[in-house]
Order: sequence, then C-alpha cells, then structure tokens
Amino acid sequence: MIRQVEVLRVSRIYGATPALRGISATFLPHTITLIEGPNGSGKSTLLGLLSTAIRPTTGQILWHPFGSSPELARPHIGWLSHESLVYPDLSGIENLTWSARLHGLTPEALDPLTDRLHLGSFARRPVRTMSRGQRQRIAIARALLSRPSLLLLDEPTTGLDREGITLLVRIIREEAERGAIVAIIAHDLELGTLLGATSLRLERGQQISPSISPHVEGS
Amino acid sequence: MARSTRPPGWLGFTWLVLSKDLHIERKSGEIVTTSGFFALLVAVMASVAFSTGENRAAVAPGVIWISMAFASVLAISRSWHREREEGALTGLLVSPVPRGAIFTGKALGVTLFLFAVEGLVIPVAALLFALDLTRIGGGLLGIALAATPGVAASGTLFGAMTVRTQARDLVLASVLFPLLSPTLLAAVAATRELIVGAGLGELGDYFVLMAIFDLIFWAGGISLFGLLLEG
Repeated sequence: MIRQVEVLRVSRIYGATPALRGISATFLPHTITLIEGPNGSGKSTLLGLLSTAIRPTTGQILWHPFGSSPELARPHIGWLSHESLVYPDLSGIENLTWSARLHGLTPEALDPLTDRLHLGSFARRPVRTMSRGQRQRIAIARALLSRPSLLLLDEPTTGLDREGITLLVRIIREEAERGAIVAIIAHDLELGTLLGATSLRLERGQQISPSISPHVEGS
Repeated sequence: MARSTRPPGWLGFTWLVLSKDLHIERKSGEIVTTSGFFALLVAVMASVAFSTGENRAAVAPGVIWISMAFASVLAISRSWHREREEGALTGLLVSPVPRGAIFTGKALGVTLFLFAVEGLVIPVAALLFALDLTRIGGGLLGIALAATPGVAASGTLFGAMTVRTQARDLVLASVLFPLLSPTLLAAVAATRELIVGAGLGELGDYFVLMAIFDLIFWAGGISLFGLLLEG
C-alpha cells in the first residue's frame, strides 16, 4: 500500500502552456485534501500526475514505499476522473467485473461494493444508456473496488442527487478512516467542510496554500 | 474485498484486454460489420470497374488487398474509438496492466477482426473473379495468416499514437498506408503468383518478407507502445 505521497517541485507544461509550476506537497494516510482553485488553475493536472496518468515535465512524485515508479504504485491507486473511464458498450457490472479482474480480484468480491454504493438494476444496463448520475456511481465503484490506499476524486459529486452526495460523503470518510490518502477536487467548498478536509489551493498553476495535509480528526 | 489466489501475469493481462474487445464486438458487431461491408463494397465496385473477364487473375489480388487495406484502417480506427469514449484508455493506462500486454491484447483483437473480414472478402472476390478456391484456398489462407498480423500490429501501434490527435483518421491513414506497403505488396504479389499457378513452395520469399514485417511490428509494438502513448 502507498504510505505517503510526496510531490517535489513538480511542473507540467503542455506545449508552451504551463499547467503547473513548481508544486510541492505531501499527502498522508487518514487525510482528506481538498484541491481547490478557479478553472484552469491546474487541479485536474495535479490529480492526473498523482494518478500516474500524466508524467511531470520537471520535478518528481514519490509514492512511498514504491519510490517514483508508476508501475508499482498503480495497483494501489483509485482514480475518479471527470470522465467515467469505463466502456460505454458494456454494462456497469461487466465494466466492474473486468476492472476487478485487472486487479486480481474475484468477480464475487464486487457484491459488497454494489451494496455499499446502492448500485441497483441500472448497473446491468449498458453504460451508454445510463444517466450522468448513474455513470458517476459506476465510476466511483470502479475507483473504490481495489480498496486503494491512494484515492483521487475529480469532482465526485457531479451528477449525483442529494442521496448520492450523502452516500459519497460517508464513503469518503470511511475510506480515510481505514487509512487511505484521499485527494478531492471540488468547486463546492461545503463538501470540504463536511469532510473536514484540509485545503490545497492552486491559482494559475501555482500553489497558494499549505503543502502538508494534517490528519483528520479521530485518526 | 477478496483477492484471487493468482493475480494475472503478462499473458493473463493480454487475455483480459483481448477478451474485453471480443466481448464488446460480440455485443455490438460494429467493427466486423462496418469493415466487412465496406470491404465488400470496394471489392464489388472494383470488380465492376476493372474486370474485363480476361484480366481477372491480374485484378483480383489488388482488389482483395486494397479492400483489406481500407477495411483495416476502418477497423483500427473503430477499435481505438472505443478506447477514447469516456476515457476508457486512460482508465486502462492507470490500471496495473503492462503497456506491452495492452498492445498485444488490442493487436490480437484487430487481427481476429481482420481475419473475419477476410473470411467475407475472399469468397466474394473468388465469386466475382471466378477464382477456384479449391485450388488456391489453402494458399490464400496462408497469405492471409502471414500478412494480417503485421497489418494489425502496425495499425494498433500507430492507431495508439493518434488517439490524442485531432484529424486522427487522416493521420492514421497517412502514416499507416506507407508502413503497410511492404506487407501489402508482398501479399498482392504472392496472391497473383498463386492465381497464375505457382505452388506454395515458390512463394517462400514473399512469406519471409511478410514474416519479417510481422516480427518488426509486433516486437516494436510491445516495446514502444508505452513510450508512444505517454510521449
């Protein structure tokens, strides 16, 4: 499992456009970090870097104890992107079963997750036919299914109804309590307050607020 | 959540990627249907346009492999389109699957889809050009088995390069056709020789050429796929 993530003077440049400039931060177990900032501030780029989907242009990311190896860190990362990262032609259950197999999990092991996320009969339909909120539930389940020690959530409340948001808040708290490192992007600052999250604020690709995430209360 | 006793190895990951593509194709039938229909249309149009009755043996090889070349670009493009939708490829890239296994699974899938299209095109071309499949069927099967894996591997490799580019179909066709030329020329020449009466033993040079390109593109794909995707 990932015990700590260190971001060391990381920059990411797309063509001639810098998305992130010299970011340094530490993410610890039992913590929830709210990454906030205006549009284009580099939040999703930072989450993409933490997820191993993007490589830094300069600087380094260390997923302790795996060092800077994305290959070793990947099995321990759960990532909810702003896209669902699933195959629209497959059903929700087919997508989850396939993802579980990639992580070396048995398909039967999905049962507790489907209960936990209240995935009803809609999960047996092709993802293409699902509403935005239903897709989001499948995407959240996909991010959670390997019990990741680094959980990255990019605007997780998108498309969810009030009941879904309440459920999501409870799940995020449970994940942090069991020891996961949780990083969330949300424009809704109330979510951060509800979760007791610490804030990492970005503006124009630069870091404005603290770089070390404190432990959440009770951990 | 329980873990299985044996997490997938490299071959296991390859099988998971391949079986996923086959499962989606079984449900949608999209790639084989569209590519197959397109290839048949090209074959029929070319037979009407170019065949005079006397030159059938000379025209048929070109018609078969030109229709397969166009169909392969379509099949590869559709195969990667599935990975682009909803960011599925990104999900695959941040999963524990090794890059080489992703390439191999995808390329094997495209190979099987192209075999299915060839299974439609070759009998129809035989009908249109009055080819005796009982005489040349075995040889044509050999040529298809030698040429198709190279076409699929090069297409999968360069299809991946174009996943994040604009005008990707144009880029794919522009890059792929020159790369496929040696394999396709060898396949056309071998098919022509077969039709005019050469035995399989006389086609050895063509098979060697196709095998070399198969080897280059499969080895290159497995080793370079991650680099090409991540830039």
